[in-house]
Amino acid sequence: MTEQLEIVTPAEPPVAGLKPTETPLLEMRNITKRYGGFVALNDMNFYIGRNEVIGLLGDNGAGKSTLVKMMSGINPPTSGEILANGRKVQFRSRSDSEAAGIETIYQDIALVDSMSITRNIFLGREMVNAFGFMNHKAMEQKTIEILGSAVQISGIDDPDKEVGFLSGGQKQAVAIARAVHFKRNILLLDEPTSALSVRETEHLLAYVRDLKDQGTSSVLVTHNLYHAFQVCDRFVVMSHGTKVFEARKEDTSIEEVTYHVIRT
Amino acid sequence: MAAKVRDWIQSRPEGGIAVLFVVVQAVVVLSAVAMPDFRYLTQANIAVTLKAIAPLGIMALGVGILMIAGEFDLSVGALYSFCAIVTATLTNAWGADIDAEGANALLPFVAMAIGLLIGTLAGIVHAVITLRFNIPSFITTLGAMLIWKGATLLFHGATSLRFKPSEPFASIFGGQIGVVHASMFWFLGMAVVFFFLLHRHRLGNHFFAVGGNRNAAVAIGINPARTKIIAFAICGFMAALSGIVAGVRVSSIQPGGGIGLELVAIAACVIGGHALMGGRGSILGIVLGTALMFTIQDVLLLLRAPGFYFEMFVGGLIVIAVIMNMAIRRKG
Repeated sequence: MTEQLEIVTPAEPPVAGLKPTETPLLEMRNITKRYGGFVALNDMNFYIGRNEVIGLLGDNGAGKSTLVKMMSGINPPTSGEILANGRKVQFRSRSDSEAAGIETIYQDIALVDSMSITRNIFLGREMVNAFGFMNHKAMEQKTIEILGSAVQISGIDDPDKEVGFLSGGQKQAVAIARAVHFKRNILLLDEPTSALSVRETEHLLAYVRDLKDQGTSSVLVTHNLYHAFQVCDRFVVMSHGTKVFEARKEDTSIEEVTYHVIRT
Repeated sequence: MAAKVRDWIQSRPEGGIAVLFVVVQAVVVLSAVAMPDFRYLTQANIAVTLKAIAPLGIMALGVGILMIAGEFDLSVGALYSFCAIVTATLTNAWGADIDAEGANALLPFVAMAIGLLIGTLAGIVHAVITLRFNIPSFITTLGAMLIWKGATLLFHGATSLRFKPSEPFASIFGGQIGVVHASMFWFLGMAVVFFFLLHRHRLGNHFFAVGGNRNAAVAIGINPARTKIIAFAICGFMAALSGIVAGVRVSSIQPGGGIGLELVAIAACVIGGHALMGGRGSILGIVLGTALMFTIQDVLLLLRAPGFYFEMFVGGLIVIAVIMNMAIRRKG
């Protein structure tokens, strides 16, 4: 008669999630993005900590690119909060994300084919004098430096060459060189290896590790779990616009991550 | 040296037209030397040709810049007439005609400023409508072309209008130094200004980016709307300037004088190596494209060919120029 009802605690939310242990560089809270009736992101939570490489995984149409575009400032959320270094911010345009120190390498390579390598690398960030006239010599000099150091690209000798004349891998390398040169604290890589050779891919992955040691965190969007396991510290798996799995590298295995990617 | 020249021809949009221009000039000049009956090199002929190039060239500079930014303005021919009519009407109404008693020296400039302002504002309106409703500029400005054409007739009627402004306006826009007409100085002066804007200034860089790959430009933080509005404004301004300069040259303005010029201006740009879809082109290409068209027209006139030959030749030239540009680029 004094029997007490057993208190049933609600089950753990179906989506596994890790809580950041310190103020993250960038945090996305309860992000939703709608295109008319289509929900591209649904109550998505995501954060980028200091000195880490995150693997953002999921099948086609899971919402990875939408999330990356949002963090790059060119795709504002319908609802939800974005915090940079713990402070609430608005990401309405590229200049907002640039202020937060974010650089992006896009899947569809944001280069202008009809412009030279130099002009592409400095596009939107031209070296100009007080009247807005460009110092082409200085930009060209810098481009030669960047192309030589950041990513060794096969066969690019002339910074004045039009990007349209380059191969897919070379274009990708120019996009990478641009992001790497201007990076400050977060580098987003959306399928960066799709057009690269095996050697160039290894080089890029090694570079992402080096950047971490220098204090730049990265988000690597990829289909290649083998690449992801080579460099990432944490994995986030998305499906249908939301997070379905999250784990640190030491707590999971390539089999488990694969299972969650193909499960949905 | 030879390798450098070849590189330039292959990599620059105006490379092909530059070769064609040099070849045509060489052939025509040699013919003129060989055959004294062919009066290409006479002072009178050179003066007439230089005089004829400028109005279309000025218009083509604006049209070409807008094409690089990835848009069209088909209303430039109608604007050319409308802005010139407004300028001339105001000049006459304010008693600034050269034969008027105590003609004011300053008022023609004020009238011109109003004409240029109308052209610029018209360009901005075309841009805002195109961008706000996200429709092709081809459609917006096709409509605008008919509206401005009607506005010209509404404002003035179908008769030609005398435009003989007082000095020093008349000399600044209609004078002549040697064989070179004042309008040619304006054309070349504007070409130099736009060369620096397009090829050396940050804004020009953004024109190429927005026209070449709009999504990339957005991703990189360029505001495509702002960039395109400026390009439309430049195009409208230049259409008005060309109308006024042409009006001063012939001392009168025909309300229908600009009809069809928009397509000739686009043709000059395409011949000069501009891509129809934007992102490719150059000031030198516009100048050479315009000059080549008028060279051909001049030669046909000297040969006493009927007028329609000109159109047939330009038609062929457009296609040949584009084929040549593609061939050169594929080789590169």
